[in-house]
Amino acid sequence: MIEILQNVGYGFEVALRPYNLMYCFFGVLIGTLVGVLPGLGPAAAIALLLPTTFHVSPVSATIMLAGIFYGAMYGGSTTSILVNIPGEAASVVTCIDGYQMARKGRAGPALGISAFGSFIAGTFSVIALTFVGPFLANIALAFGPPEYFSLMIVGITVLTYLSSGSMIKSLMMAGIGLILSGVGMDTIAGKYRFTFDIPALLDGVGVVPVAMGLFGISEVLMNLETEIKRDLLTTKVKNLFPSLKDWGLSIWPIIRGSVLGFFLGIIPGGGAVIASFASYAIEKKIAKNPEEFGKGAIQGVAGPESANNAGAGGSFIPLLTLGIPANPVTAILLGALMIHGLTPGPLLIKDAPDLFWGTIVSMYIGNGMLLVLNLPLIPIWVKVLKVPYYLLYPLILLFCLIGAYSLDNNVSDVIIMLVFGILGFLMKKYRYDGAPLILALVLGQKLETSLRRALIMSHGAFSIFVTRPISLAFLITAVLLLIVPIVTGRKKLSTLAEE
Amino acid sequence: MGKSDRVSGSFWFLFCLFIIYESYRLGLGNVYQPGPGFLFFWTGIVVAIMSLIVVLQSFSSQADEEAREAPTGKRAAIKVILVLVSLFVYAALMEYLGFFIVTLLLFMFLLGVIEKKKWWFAVVVSVAVTLFSYLIFETALQSQLPKGILSSLRF
Repeated sequence: MIEILQNVGYGFEVALRPYNLMYCFFGVLIGTLVGVLPGLGPAAAIALLLPTTFHVSPVSATIMLAGIFYGAMYGGSTTSILVNIPGEAASVVTCIDGYQMARKGRAGPALGISAFGSFIAGTFSVIALTFVGPFLANIALAFGPPEYFSLMIVGITVLTYLSSGSMIKSLMMAGIGLILSGVGMDTIAGKYRFTFDIPALLDGVGVVPVAMGLFGISEVLMNLETEIKRDLLTTKVKNLFPSLKDWGLSIWPIIRGSVLGFFLGIIPGGGAVIASFASYAIEKKIAKNPEEFGKGAIQGVAGPESANNAGAGGSFIPLLTLGIPANPVTAILLGALMIHGLTPGPLLIKDAPDLFWGTIVSMYIGNGMLLVLNLPLIPIWVKVLKVPYYLLYPLILLFCLIGAYSLDNNVSDVIIMLVFGILGFLMKKYRYDGAPLILALVLGQKLETSLRRALIMSHGAFSIFVTRPISLAFLITAVLLLIVPIVTGRKKLSTLAEE
Repeated sequence: MGKSDRVSGSFWFLFCLFIIYESYRLGLGNVYQPGPGFLFFWTGIVVAIMSLIVVLQSFSSQADEEAREAPTGKRAAIKVILVLVSLFVYAALMEYLGFFIVTLLLFMFLLGVIEKKKWWFAVVVSVAVTLFSYLIFETALQSQLPKGILSSLRF
């Protein structure tokens, strides 16, 4: 306990350095902005801004990139409520009741409660992260290659289970991601794979250009095809502070959302998006007046908005303690940490305490900044929404081009990004989810190394994966996730909220 | 899901056949010492089977409507293709012409030709965006944008 307090103290010392404070501020500000802008989510934004962090210390870089992530969770709610367009995926459910509240002239309390809820949940998850993180890292020290392999398999299965659309297609995308991760040098055999003498492929297919293509470029192409109509509410936003009655209705959804979001965030493959859906489903189920839902129930805003922030916080746990990203956003963060020469995993707390504790504590500070930043700035965000799309999309494209080029000052990353932009566009049309592809692409090399090491350890016996208890438990979970939907007739969590 | 699944499923199936062949060539090794192609060979087989299932399923559920396949219109399709082409041209020329010129051209093309804005508007915005992005990325964030044929000029 005392040790943790000491560490938190050290974290404050790191996070409060003016330099880091500035990066934290930039991070949450940019995060809120991309959260507000539809068609540019946190994954693309982090990918875009990653190259700009190359000349700062890994700690400042991580603090800023993390800020973008949880900042976007705040910003996304603004567009959901005011325009009925989710700024990013985790705010989709907020549209349902948030927009209805706005139509009834209660945009203020809706925005207010989602900001306060986000703050409470964000702070809760960071406190929980402080305690659970080191504990999990200790457990993870006992993990060998078989455990890591099984854990990553679970992560990929959970994500395919939770992702949108058909499960079989999501699994296929995970497979494709795995195959893509094999491009480039095979470190064990020292042999080039799948490069076909194309120089651009020798270094492998980078996660960041792929993510920019799948989430950034393809989104723009999709929007170009289907003109987005935005009917902006012209009513003035007032009474941002929710009334006592609103608080009474919201406090339990906020608490439940925080806890639920945090735990769903920890599970590899879970995260903010699914937490928001699950929270909405639960609130609707236990509400005294479920018929109010869909007509502007404040619980339907408070719960999911808290859950997605807690989920964002929770998903840092598998990233920082196991080195396993829970979702595409943390997958890119993992890539970022590795570019900065750090290997996230159980040893990170010992090897880079300034990064681990500094980042966590910066999240306390960032959450506070967001609360202060968000409420008074809402009118500005509304103005940002009025930027016409014909100006916005060339800018997004330009940022993607610059971002991809600056990764390595190399045009081949730009080409890779554009190719995956086309692929992502087609995948959206043919309904394949890009998230499993990204996750598998990031985990691929580690997955392959653990598999090959485990098999070498066991002298070729696959039984090693089922004779070790932790590994067995992971695999059983994965198998259950694959079988349950087939046996029970699949009910996706993401469709629950629509019922 | 009808026709679109047949197309996409077949595509992934062929892709996987190719991967299986390539992985086989790389060497599978054995379970005692898996070779470089081992994981991808088996992944390829599993994904190939799944893509076949997608194709087969598409025959049994043809009635399903394709929401996203809704008529997109020729104009929208041409717009998407033109934007894509301009991006590839940007990538191809950026190191030769340099950031300044390609960005200016890209913006004038997107605003003037694709979005059909007035020419003076396109020019003013393009110049402003190029200057600002250069200031932000090159000066403030110290990215190294390509200078191209303007490299002899000092900024």
